[in-house]
Amino acid sequence: MRHLLRNLALYAVAAWASLTLNFLIPRLMPGDPASTMFARFRGQLQPEAIDALRVAFGFTNEPLYKQYFTYVVHLFQGDLGLSVAYFPAKVTDVIATGLGWTLLLAGAAVIISFALGTTLGVVATWRRGGWLDSVLPPVLVFLGAFPYFWLAMVLLYVLGFNLGAFPLRHAYDDALAPAFSGEFILSVVQHMMLPASAIVIATLGGWMLSMRSTMVGVLSEDYITMANAKGLSQGRIMFHYAARNALLPNVTGFGMALGFVLSGSLLTEIVFSYPGQGYLLIQAVRNQDYPLMQGIFLTITLAVLGANLLVDILYVWLDPRTRTR
Amino acid sequence: MSRRLLMMCMSLLSLGGLVHCSKSPPEGAQPAPATAPAAVAAPKVTALTVIQEQQASWVRNFNPLLAPGNARWPTRAGIYEPLMIYNTLKGEFVPWLAVKHEWSADNKKLTLSVRPGVKWSDGQPFTARDVAFTFELLKKHKALDFSAVWAFLDGVQVKDDATVEFSLVRPYVPGLVYILHQPIVPEHKWKDVADPVTFTNETPVATGPFTEVKVFQNQIFELGRNPHYWQPGKPAVQSLRFPAYPGNDQANMALLTGELDWAGSFVPDIERVYVAKDKENNHYWFPLVGNTTTLYVNTAKKPFDDVRVRKAISMAIDRDQIVKVAMYGYTRPADATALSDAHKNWHNPKALESGDWTKLDVAKANALLDEAGYKRGEDGVRMTPDKQPMRYEINVVTGWSDWVRASQLIGQHLKQLGIDATLKTYDFSPYFERLQKGEFDMSMGWTSEEPTPYHFYRGLMGSETLRPIGEIAAHNWNRFASKEADELLRAFEGTNDAAEQKKLAGQMQELFVQNAPAIPLFPGPSWGEYNTRRFTNFPSASNPYAKLTPNSSPENLFLMVEVKPK
Repeated sequence: MRHLLRNLALYAVAAWASLTLNFLIPRLMPGDPASTMFARFRGQLQPEAIDALRVAFGFTNEPLYKQYFTYVVHLFQGDLGLSVAYFPAKVTDVIATGLGWTLLLAGAAVIISFALGTTLGVVATWRRGGWLDSVLPPVLVFLGAFPYFWLAMVLLYVLGFNLGAFPLRHAYDDALAPAFSGEFILSVVQHMMLPASAIVIATLGGWMLSMRSTMVGVLSEDYITMANAKGLSQGRIMFHYAARNALLPNVTGFGMALGFVLSGSLLTEIVFSYPGQGYLLIQAVRNQDYPLMQGIFLTITLAVLGANLLVDILYVWLDPRTRTR
Repeated sequence: MSRRLLMMCMSLLSLGGLVHCSKSPPEGAQPAPATAPAAVAAPKVTALTVIQEQQASWVRNFNPLLAPGNARWPTRAGIYEPLMIYNTLKGEFVPWLAVKHEWSADNKKLTLSVRPGVKWSDGQPFTARDVAFTFELLKKHKALDFSAVWAFLDGVQVKDDATVEFSLVRPYVPGLVYILHQPIVPEHKWKDVADPVTFTNETPVATGPFTEVKVFQNQIFELGRNPHYWQPGKPAVQSLRFPAYPGNDQANMALLTGELDWAGSFVPDIERVYVAKDKENNHYWFPLVGNTTTLYVNTAKKPFDDVRVRKAISMAIDRDQIVKVAMYGYTRPADATALSDAHKNWHNPKALESGDWTKLDVAKANALLDEAGYKRGEDGVRMTPDKQPMRYEINVVTGWSDWVRASQLIGQHLKQLGIDATLKTYDFSPYFERLQKGEFDMSMGWTSEEPTPYHFYRGLMGSETLRPIGEIAAHNWNRFASKEADELLRAFEGTNDAAEQKKLAGQMQELFVQNAPAIPLFPGPSWGEYNTRRFTNFPSASNPYAKLTPNSSPENLFLMVEVKPK
């Protein structure tokens, strides 16, 4: 428990630091949001209106520390301000249009990739020198070297566009309304298949290799020999004795990967016109939409911290040593 | 116990993963034949599928008083409507919510007669009061007045239910377009809106052809017909559908699969990429009525203050090559008046004739620079009279491939002159800041896109738009001003006589040709594609009743009421 409490304090500090960076980094970018906005209209907007727009958007020339103070106060009230790119929508509303879909797509992809990669790692190491062990790692590493979005484009072009086997875009069929019906869920799964595969293919190798390398170490431990000598079943040794101990580094990695879910699937989403956060972030950067950028970075930060907290809790349960300390 | 749990979790996870990965592709493949043809033969025949805005997910907003891009397209022209619409191809205002406009003798009063019998989509009558109310709103909320009508308006008065009178602070005839193009909102709904600047107007009440929000989801929305629309029997289209596409690539793919009926995207090599896929139904029309892509030189800096340098640079540029390589031959080289086909009726043949500096002539350009005292140094790069090598940067936006290619070519062309011009790419925002603040040597840019050449030349050589270097200028990025231009512009503002306007615009052209304040490259095509599998009567080269592009509001209204299902 003390272990957890100590960690919680650490998380609070990390959260504060990242909130502050969220505030500062966008403001260090060159250019200013009102003129970007003006530019979008390519001369349709008269210069007199810019100043009025600046006021409407809430841009001020206040000193930075005052802006920072307002930012923190508003944050605690759950008010992320109004988006500039989607003015006058609230940042929270804008993020809400995409967050769920991103979580679903990337979350599912990461979980599948983790589970599949780890299991493959366990099995391959157990039958060291077998065909699984000699063929899969190089192939997966090769595939993993491609960026997500490139694989996504290939899958989209070959399976979606040329063969017509998968839908080309969106998170569900345009003719359906979101509902908890079998038809809708099937449509969501079908639309997720290609983008999720792109992420899974690109990340599978990492999980498998890291699992394999720790498994190799664990398999030479005395207690494995002991378990063998006791005549335990192979499956029990493989999973209970070896895999459980070898899993720890992968679990840490899982925490990190879950956190990066929100940012990592960005380009894949754009390739498949997936209504997630990826495009929102690009839009925010293009339009110098500070409030939206802050909001999106905030969700990413919170996701990373939250995932790590989860992993910490999982550790306490997986690894008895953390409980005795 | 915990071990068993872990074991269970592990096996469940791996099972889930395996099942998901091994089994699901065939599962997905089964309904696939159904979806693929479905994409070809759209789900609803009565809905016209359009892309105008590129978004990954829609945010619900139908406030027509906000700048375009903040409210969903076609809020400003489609859901709501303006008083009159300028038809660029015909060069005239077409009466819409107003049937007539009339200037007083001193051009300080503008009287509009509104169309009788128009109803809002909730059945209430539309009157002159709504017009006055809308303009009063703009006066109260400056952030909504983005065409700055209150910079020249003095007041708006309702004469009777059918007549409204605008009084101006000074004669300002070119301001007409801003008044006529203002979308009008209903007083009976908007008088209760607390803050129209942050109002998202989720269920619009309007006069346009499409006012009913039938579907609004994150990746698609659909607008249905206005039951009270004032043009009998129109629109013929049941509804407009807007799937969300985050970028050009995704939109172009939807064009190819036949999902989109109407688009205004840039498609490279369109004959081969799009038309050849289905010659009968896939069509495009790119009339040259956009703004002019221009190479701006900073005339506030040496040596660009020298007209001979500007002309020499222009003469060394091979516009034919730029048009072919950077623009896929979609346009033609610009002439020395810089006007596009949008201002065809205003062209002054005398100015055109004397404008030789947009024709490729490297020898003459070199002679001009020699004569002006810019001598070649040892490395072949010329020196200015104050001993500065002529090395400059061309400002371009990262990723705007047509501009990037064009400026690469310009760099090569200028080498023949002994000018070393290198390309410098920036993200849009810093690029635009440099352009506006005058912190550049040369920069790619665009021109204004308004009905008369008045606005065009005001932004290129009027002193009203001139700002010192370091200060943001909305137009006049070349930072050039001339007294003669000011006089012509002033005279233009004060006259309502077409012949007189044409004469003044002609003189502006001559002045531009004489001074070369900016270097025009090519007139911009107005992008438009359509598919006739389900709908007909789109504007085209053979039926040019309006612009095809959805990108130039409010002209898209012409198309919306004219397009018919097959």
